[in-house]
Amino acid sequence: MSFSRARFDRAFHPRVIAVVGDKQMNGFLWLRALQRFSGKLYSVQIDPNEIPAIEAMGVANVRSLLDIPEAVDYVVVAVPRNVAPRVLADCVRKEVGAVTLFTAGFSETGDPEGIRLEAEIATLAREANLLLIGPNCMGIANLRIGMCNFPNQPVGDTAAGRVGFIGQSGTHTITFCMRGPAEGVGVSKAVSCGNSVVADASDYLEYLRDDADTAVIAAYIEGVRNGRRFFDVLCQTTAIKPVILWKGGVSEAGQRAIFSHTAALATPVAVWRGMVRQAGAIAVESQDELLDVARTLLAGTVATGSRAGLIAMTGGPSVVMTDAFTQAGLDVPLLTDASYAKLREFFQVVGGSLRNPLDAGSTIAMGFRSDNLERLLQILLSDSCIDVIAMDLGAALSIDRYLEHPALAAAVVDILAAFAQHTSKPFGVIVDAPHRPVDAARLRDDLLRRGVLTFPSPQRAARALRQSIEYWRMRRGAEAQSSL
Amino acid sequence: MLAAAGVAVTPTELARTAVAAAALAERLGCPAALKIVSPDIVHKSDAGGVRLGLASPAAVAAAFDEVMRAVRARQPTAHLEGVSVQPMAPPGGVEVIVGVSVDAQFGHVIMCGLGGVLVEVLRDVAFRLIPLQPRDAREMLTELHGLPLLRGVRGRPGVDLRAVEELLLRVSQLIAQRPDIRELDLNPVLAYPDRVLTVDARALVTVER
Repeated sequence: MSFSRARFDRAFHPRVIAVVGDKQMNGFLWLRALQRFSGKLYSVQIDPNEIPAIEAMGVANVRSLLDIPEAVDYVVVAVPRNVAPRVLADCVRKEVGAVTLFTAGFSETGDPEGIRLEAEIATLAREANLLLIGPNCMGIANLRIGMCNFPNQPVGDTAAGRVGFIGQSGTHTITFCMRGPAEGVGVSKAVSCGNSVVADASDYLEYLRDDADTAVIAAYIEGVRNGRRFFDVLCQTTAIKPVILWKGGVSEAGQRAIFSHTAALATPVAVWRGMVRQAGAIAVESQDELLDVARTLLAGTVATGSRAGLIAMTGGPSVVMTDAFTQAGLDVPLLTDASYAKLREFFQVVGGSLRNPLDAGSTIAMGFRSDNLERLLQILLSDSCIDVIAMDLGAALSIDRYLEHPALAAAVVDILAAFAQHTSKPFGVIVDAPHRPVDAARLRDDLLRRGVLTFPSPQRAARALRQSIEYWRMRRGAEAQSSL
Repeated sequence: MLAAAGVAVTPTELARTAVAAAALAERLGCPAALKIVSPDIVHKSDAGGVRLGLASPAAVAAAFDEVMRAVRARQPTAHLEGVSVQPMAPPGGVEVIVGVSVDAQFGHVIMCGLGGVLVEVLRDVAFRLIPLQPRDAREMLTELHGLPLLRGVRGRPGVDLRAVEELLLRVSQLIAQRPDIRELDLNPVLAYPDRVLTVDARALVTVER
């Protein structure tokens, strides 16, 4: 089933939202989530026991959707499943823009009544050309306008960004919207699509493909109904912007779990993987990796190759970092003679090593010689044998000193931020201090806010950089082929 | 069907008697291979229906009787048409398998992997949706963990990777033209330094009613 762009636009940019059937037992989940919505919010509730609490929240309550005195763009339906068809019929009569059916208990239960009801609402929606999201889902989030799907989700301009998310899981969609902005991945639009009986993942992908606010698309997918359509839309999308796919249910037991979750049919994992690669999308295995890759792609520097220039502060981490990058499929080559000539002018080989990785602890002196850090970075930037630059800040040993001498930390952050601003090569900084996780996270935040791509481990840095390199390699290959 | 699609296959002919089998072996060349031909038997070697490396027409004639006896003993109700006679493929090929199946969501998919006994254990295979682009065929091979076996190890020359890619593309083309083929197994395909040769194949075709 396909809907016009205008239909989706109305759903993702509503001016009026109505929530049907939110109640105390639910913790007024929806009305609380939508309290910061910049448009107008209505509640539809007939239970006299619920209405006072709703009105106490400052939300206008009506007894029927049809009583709302203006056009309604988006409706969240949270009524029991047997009432759902009646409420959907009201939505059709009211000519609303779109409906999220939060209500669960349909085909995912496997019970005959759930399956019958799902067929009934699907038919109802299709015949009326109603844009129905779900059922069994958390619907749409547009954080910029305060439209979200969970209370206390960060909203507004600080949470908004350029990554669109499609989730066949409400939880993963919500956590993406909560974690993403805190980890440098602002959200353009997100949708939790549940059982997808009418609009499905391909429809949302198509919408985000053409969405100017969305530069990168990420999705959590358990299974798709019309695989060929999904593949075709995916191919079209990756030619324009990166698509990161996190597949759930890659084990046999996981595939059983899928059925009771979204009732999707499982595709053999090997077929799925081949399809993703063929379409030029990026397969990730966790939400951590999904966010790492999104952050890397957002940094905007396009990798032209996979040769990494590495800087570490001490010996052991420099070895492990080299292993991590090599195992992720990157090369760690020697630098050019010209680079070594420049390095010899100031590099401290005592307590260091100047091959690649550059073990530069004594040269940078834990920030006391941050001017040398700048020189190292410039040498790697101008080295013709290097495509990607990564640095382990050595926070495991230096974080205490940075805490004692904030000016030292600030000088290092300044240099890294200035370099991140002008580097033409992808540049990642690893900040990892296992004994001081909170302080390390704070330092990462500082760097992120200053536009520096950071990672909590060399393995995650290496994988994310590798994934972005693969994407740009695919794009170049495809473009070269089409220009023949 | 495969030959018409440009896939190099070992010449295969049907013999209904031991004498005919010996004559075919004489004509196609020895050493030869015999395989039972029956619509009721899918796993030919499990049924005792395969004999390989037969050195002479006389050995082929003797093997014909043995194969027919062995299969009849194991599957008395199977309808036996005879045996297929093929010249043995030259030694030194690396075993590759190519398969086609239909996925419930994605339709026709093609699979390529390293063949032989290890394939069952290692499941070192790569999948793509049909139709394939040349880039897809190339990437399928680079995805195989056993790629070094194809590139050549321990002084053994590498196989013609381009020929394997070409085979994948031709199979993809065949399926694009014949979507009624639900399953296709080319197993084994022998890959040599200068070519590939499909030694055995099996197809499952939907019949329109």
